[in-house]
Amino acid sequence: MRRLAVLTGLLILFSVCAARADGIEVGEVRLRGADDGLVLDADFAFELTPRLADVVANGVPIYFRVEFEMTRPRWYWFDEKAASKRLQLRLSYHALSRQYRLSSGLLQQTFATLEEALNVLRRLRSWPVVERAAALSDADHKVALRMRLDTALLPRPFQLSALTSRELHLESEWKRFNVRPKALPVAER
Amino acid sequence: MKVLVLIAGVVAAVVLFLLATASGETTLLAQHYPLLLGLNATLALLFAVLVSYQLAVMVRRYRARVFGTRLMLRLLTRFAALAVLPGIIVYAVSVQFITRSIESWFDVKVDAALEGGISLGQQVIDQMTVDLQSKARAMAQELADRSQPQAVAQLERLRAQAGVQEAVLVTASGRPLATASEDTSTLVPDLPAPQALRQARANRGFAVVDSTAGRPLSLRVIVPVAASGFGGEERFLQLRSSVPPNFAGSAEAVEAAYRDYRELSLAREELRSIYIVTLSFALLLALFVAVAVAVTQSRLLADPIATLAQAMQAVTRGDFSRQAEVTSRDELGVLTESFNSMTRQLEEARRVVETNRAALEGANARLENILAHLSAGVLVFDHDRRLAITNHGASAIAGEELEDFAQRMREQFEQHGGKAWQTELQLRTTGKTVHARGAPLPHATGGGYVVAFDDVTQLIQAQRATAWAEVARRMAHEIRNPLTPIQLSAERLEMKLAEHLSREDAETLHRSTATIVNQVAALKAMVDDFANYARLPRPELMQLDLNALVDDVLELYQHSRVPIAKRLDAALPPVWADGAQIRQVIHNLVQNAQDSLDNVAAEPRPAAGAAPSIEVRTELVGDRARLAVSDNGGGFPEELMARIFEPYVTTKPRGTGLGLAMVKKIVDEHQGSVAIENRPSRGASVSVLLPLAKAA
Repeated sequence: MRRLAVLTGLLILFSVCAARADGIEVGEVRLRGADDGLVLDADFAFELTPRLADVVANGVPIYFRVEFEMTRPRWYWFDEKAASKRLQLRLSYHALSRQYRLSSGLLQQTFATLEEALNVLRRLRSWPVVERAAALSDADHKVALRMRLDTALLPRPFQLSALTSRELHLESEWKRFNVRPKALPVAER
Repeated sequence: MKVLVLIAGVVAAVVLFLLATASGETTLLAQHYPLLLGLNATLALLFAVLVSYQLAVMVRRYRARVFGTRLMLRLLTRFAALAVLPGIIVYAVSVQFITRSIESWFDVKVDAALEGGISLGQQVIDQMTVDLQSKARAMAQELADRSQPQAVAQLERLRAQAGVQEAVLVTASGRPLATASEDTSTLVPDLPAPQALRQARANRGFAVVDSTAGRPLSLRVIVPVAASGFGGEERFLQLRSSVPPNFAGSAEAVEAAYRDYRELSLAREELRSIYIVTLSFALLLALFVAVAVAVTQSRLLADPIATLAQAMQAVTRGDFSRQAEVTSRDELGVLTESFNSMTRQLEEARRVVETNRAALEGANARLENILAHLSAGVLVFDHDRRLAITNHGASAIAGEELEDFAQRMREQFEQHGGKAWQTELQLRTTGKTVHARGAPLPHATGGGYVVAFDDVTQLIQAQRATAWAEVARRMAHEIRNPLTPIQLSAERLEMKLAEHLSREDAETLHRSTATIVNQVAALKAMVDDFANYARLPRPELMQLDLNALVDDVLELYQHSRVPIAKRLDAALPPVWADGAQIRQVIHNLVQNAQDSLDNVAAEPRPAAGAAPSIEVRTELVGDRARLAVSDNGGGFPEELMARIFEPYVTTKPRGTGLGLAMVKKIVDEHQGSVAIENRPSRGASVSVLLPLAKAA
């Protein structure tokens, strides 16, 4: 019985590691000042799993979610949440026009190939994450960033297999670093 | 446990319903699908634990052979089977059905139709693009020959001619030179992107479908316009044309259907999984609820039965105090109630039986007691005439002869053929007279025979003695009275007639008269004897030295013809007797012996070599004193032995025969006994047993 439990535990560990290896790598992340606030540039490295590519190619939209957290550590209490942002990116295929569409909010871009769309997806540029940088205190802040496939927004039938199958999983680990907002470079206009 | 099962069942139903709804179309619940799935799984696990706990408890009870578990297990199995089998059948059918249904959605024809629709749309759009491109090239041709201002002026005309919605002439850098639009409200034209211009320059043309969501599908074509004359700047013409709304709508509808279809097609495995998972959960929960309910129900049914059975076992052991508890008002309750009343009746019956048995035992003991203390003898034979019961009285009367006596009783029964009888008979050894009455016992009590008998020897003797006393008294009275007148008359006759008669006659008269007087005197003596016998006074009992009395009496016989030997026991204690009467006894016995010897002497041939002798002896026998008078005379004739003590029974030529009768009467009055026997050699012996004086 105990041996079985150990075996199961190891199996779970392996699968988790494997999932991480297949996931999204967060590359270079830059935070810079722009106007009053802060904007974020980030590079991600990932490939769609064959299953996901198949799903997209069949016209089913998939959603990516970029999450940004900025906290100020406090030794006496919970960390103060300085800023928190979510970005939702929708990737879909329009069969009639044979185009891939990448949309974020009202903004929409169309691409002739999947690779073009993915290239844009992999390069996040000028994402305003903090509206008013002046409101931030002059101290070290913790920044965390990750990108993942939002399985909750997949069509329902896929959600079940998303629970069990790794093919529908695409997720990065939290990329964490410290930053002093006041010391960030301000992009010249 | 029941409440727990109920609550769990309700929760399971709710969650299952939600899951089923989520599996359907509602988007609200669809978001929480994983949560619901988890909830169901947890619940199923919970139920599994609950059910396995119940089953484990039951198995433990079964192993421990708790009474009623077997029944409960059987009921449980039945109930569970009743719920599980249909569940599994419905599940199997549903899964099969769903699999088939989902597969049936994806028809090759539908697939091909949708593909064809999309392909048709694409071809139409391609065709329209080609059209637009050729129009653009024609326009570019025309514009190329014109100067800049002319071209600007011509653009609107050319646009209207070609029937496109918008035409824009831009420089290579993208700056608009001229614009013409069907829709005059839009002032700012949709300019081509630099990238598109680059491609147009490189490929001598560029075409794209604008498919921005929310806006009608439109086509955009960019072609280079040849420079007018040498050194002229390169220009580009962009034409935009909307796809006809009818076509666009249809195409979009086909596209949406195609997308949905593809989505479903892609997700068919997942869809099947969802339904199967939902169904499986439904099955699992239903099974668990069914089993849990079955356990509870079977317990509900089996518990009263087990209680009843335990009570029954208690009754089997004889414990009637156990009353089964009535828990329900159904047939089981009625059964329990009847069982209880039956137990009460049993207990009542047992108590009655107990009482009866005690009464019977008491009666038996009493009967036995009575039988034991009865002086009469009682013999009970069974139906085979075997001796079953004898009482103490029977042994006392019959003594060693009991078996022989019983045999005679059997013969009596045989003679009388099972009817009641009574008879008098004599015991062979002791000669006792016994009055016996026999009667068959009723068949109802098992048959058999009963004999009651009594020793009536004493009674008969007493009756005889009383009769003789009466005879003697009468005789004394009736005979004595005339004797005196007879005597006086005879004497008067002699006196009156003697002097008137001759001497011879006087002599005859004198002799006759003397004879009459003598005979009357003898008659008188005899009558006196009878009177004495009849009027024997009550003995005045006192302490008496028997030896002294014997000495005193024998003094008178010192000079008799036959010598009398005395063998007296010097240590004989005094007896309780009347001296005068015992004296009479001794006289009578000794005279009897003398008379007996006289008879022998009178016989023609006296016994040779035996001098006549009499012996008187006293001795202590048990708690009695014995006085024995023996002789070596002729003894008593055997035929007289039984009646020897009756008056007028005598062996002597003379004598009234009252001697031994007198002895017997006196001894009886003294609570003593008399026995006579003929001695083995010769002669007879009479022994008298007298009670000793009580130690004062």
